[in-house]
Amino acid sequence: MRKFLTVLAALATLGLSGCGYNAIQTNDEQVKSSWSEVVNQYQRRADLVPNLVNSVKGFAQQEKDVLLGVTNARAKVGSVQATPDVVNDPGALQKFQAAQGELSGALSRLLVVTENYPQLKSDALFKDLMSQLEGTENRITVARNRYIKAVQEYNVGVRTFPNNLTAMIFGYKEKANFSVANEGEISTAPKVDFNPTPAPAK
Amino acid sequence: MRLVQAGLLALLLFCCGAPAFADVAVPALTGRVVDQTGTLSSSEQSELSGKLADFEKRKGSQIGVLIVPTTEPETIAQFSIRVAEAWKLGRSKVDDGAILLVAKNDRKLRIEVGNGLEGALTDATTRRIIDEIIAPRFKTGDFAGGIKAGAERMMKIIDGEPLSPPPEPSEWRADTALFDQLFEYAPFLLFGAFIGGAFLRQMLGRLLGSLVAGGLVMAAVWLIVSSVIAGAICGLAAFFITLIGDSALSTGGSSGRSGSSGGGWSSGSSSSSSSSGGFSGGGGSFSGGGASGSW
Repeated sequence: MRKFLTVLAALATLGLSGCGYNAIQTNDEQVKSSWSEVVNQYQRRADLVPNLVNSVKGFAQQEKDVLLGVTNARAKVGSVQATPDVVNDPGALQKFQAAQGELSGALSRLLVVTENYPQLKSDALFKDLMSQLEGTENRITVARNRYIKAVQEYNVGVRTFPNNLTAMIFGYKEKANFSVANEGEISTAPKVDFNPTPAPAK
Repeated sequence: MRLVQAGLLALLLFCCGAPAFADVAVPALTGRVVDQTGTLSSSEQSELSGKLADFEKRKGSQIGVLIVPTTEPETIAQFSIRVAEAWKLGRSKVDDGAILLVAKNDRKLRIEVGNGLEGALTDATTRRIIDEIIAPRFKTGDFAGGIKAGAERMMKIIDGEPLSPPPEPSEWRADTALFDQLFEYAPFLLFGAFIGGAFLRQMLGRLLGSLVAGGLVMAAVWLIVSSVIAGAICGLAAFFITLIGDSALSTGGSSGRSGSSGGGWSSGSSSSSSSSGGFSGGGGSFSGGGASGSW
């Protein structure tokens, strides 16, 4: 304890900003705020799902498994806690990402199925929901990219000399980032095996 | 291990978000309408940017129109958010900017909406503007008409939503009126700063006296011109004048004066000019709202 205090006093005399303490604070805050934006946009998507499911149900009741898949994936997303602490715990972030990825997969299966229902596709409500979903997916992408950048900046700051000494003393660790492996999983569309009717030319 | 991690990080950087070299560069913001394809005639361009400028005067929202040949290899959404981040249309903190982007050879278009306008120009609304107003005209080859109709509809929709009133002269773009006002009071302020500064220095000692003098001048200027920046500059000048003291009075006076009128103020572009030269984004932020479409 005494040793710690001595070190602290020495640091204070040097001026904390010189050791990157303030930079670490700034970056930490940036990571937090960009994470909450990510969660916010994912939440927005989750809120859309029930409406989307209901609107599809009206036209395509026989697609029970797909609809059920979406509903279950949505429930799973709800059960994963997206607290601000997730950014400090790679395991929790993995879990969060896996749940969101599953929902992405289920949603894209649903969208493939809707191709077979021209009436549904021309429904005004469904159209609005679809454009909202597209917009939300885009916002998620933007928010994730900003989070990735913020975490990179923070991690580089925590690992470079002399800031790493400051980080060590104050217990700032590297933060978890979205992983490339899952990135690939999420971005590939799932295979659906029934004979799809050729999509109408746009 | 570190090396592997660094490698992974680099890979990650490469895969997500970091623009590769092959990406289309974001065009310079030369005006409210930037056309890299020669689609619009110069009269059409100036008419449209005049309308957008009037709209900004009235509402405060900045709308930009950008026509590029292609956004490949990026998707239009990726390119669009980069443009939005570079141009920063819309007022800072209000974030009421929007961009109508057309990638002519890709046959794709997008309306990118700033955070503050997402309530008015919702995803569904922008989608409908694209599908119902712009795309049909583009299909017939009427690009100018489609862009004009789309931009006008965007303005109408924004009009339906209460926004905060148009900006007062912002701190970053002082217009000359502000300094005319300041110069009216300048002798007064300088005189007050000298006398008061000397008095305060006697009373409170050099450093504290200077600090108080600077603070008082800053507050006074801020009240008169209602610009924090101008206040801070004059306050700093007063602080140093008082600090340096009587010995440098004669030179301090002139340097203090230039401190309050120089400092790069003239380079600030005025927001009221409707010409393409003086247009710049107000610092609005975007987070990917809007919709894309094709024709």
